[in-house]
Amino acid sequence: MTDLTPITALGADLPRCARFGPLTLTETPGLALASLALRRGTAAPALFGLTLPSPGGWVAGAGVAAFWTGPGQWMIEAEGRAEHDFAAEVKRAAPGCSVTEQTDGWVAIEIASSAGADPLIRLMEKLVNVDAATFGPGRATRTALEHMGVFLIRRAEDRLAVLGMRSAAGSLWHALETAASRLARPG
Amino acid sequence: MLIPHPLLGPRDAQEFTYLGDASLIDRPDGMADGAEAAFCDYVYLRDNPAGVHRELWFHEFGDRSWLVVTRNTVTHEILGAELAADVARRGR
Repeated sequence: MTDLTPITALGADLPRCARFGPLTLTETPGLALASLALRRGTAAPALFGLTLPSPGGWVAGAGVAAFWTGPGQWMIEAEGRAEHDFAAEVKRAAPGCSVTEQTDGWVAIEIASSAGADPLIRLMEKLVNVDAATFGPGRATRTALEHMGVFLIRRAEDRLAVLGMRSAAGSLWHALETAASRLARPG
Repeated sequence: MLIPHPLLGPRDAQEFTYLGDASLIDRPDGMADGAEAAFCDYVYLRDNPAGVHRELWFHEFGDRSWLVVTRNTVTHEILGAELAADVARRGR
């Protein structure tokens, strides 16, 4: 059989990482994703000890996290488990729900700030029409970023994750890189 | 323009796609007597009020929910928004 070489969403052997002033952008190919939807008339399950968040929310537990994506729908995340069949684990934990594997459809870019919340807020103000001041830790939303649908997750005061379409990974990186590098310029 | 999403709060109107009159929720029964005439009215006949109008908006760049937005077509003032699923369930 042909020996296939795995590459990341941005097309390289290793995840891309770049620093612009206080902001560090890192591609995280290890993030496993599975969507979970309730069927009609069923209650939200307790999943891996998580209480599934209300609209606009994100919650993190031990190695897993979940964010709200729509009425009765959530995305479940697991850091570093993209190589495992994470959707099957979610399905076993929530047998009455509809679960779909999502990992390979997305590119995840984590943005860390070394100077607190302010650089992240200024980056958001440049890129998305979401009220950055109220988009605090534990908030997650889907919105448009340069005509692309993306999920934004505020993981902490100084951390923001952007999940975009894998096929548009290059465009998404370009948009984030351009905005972050301009913010980092003096003056 | 901001649309007051009932679950997510004020959101940029550019995240939404407009469909049309909220009466489109009331789809006629295709198997009933007179279905052809009912569907002709459903597809082609629409009030076009200058003033308060109830209309369907899809949160395409958001949580993908359908909303019924009450909007004044003269001033563009948005008077309210609710989930179309709630409107359909209780009947109009």
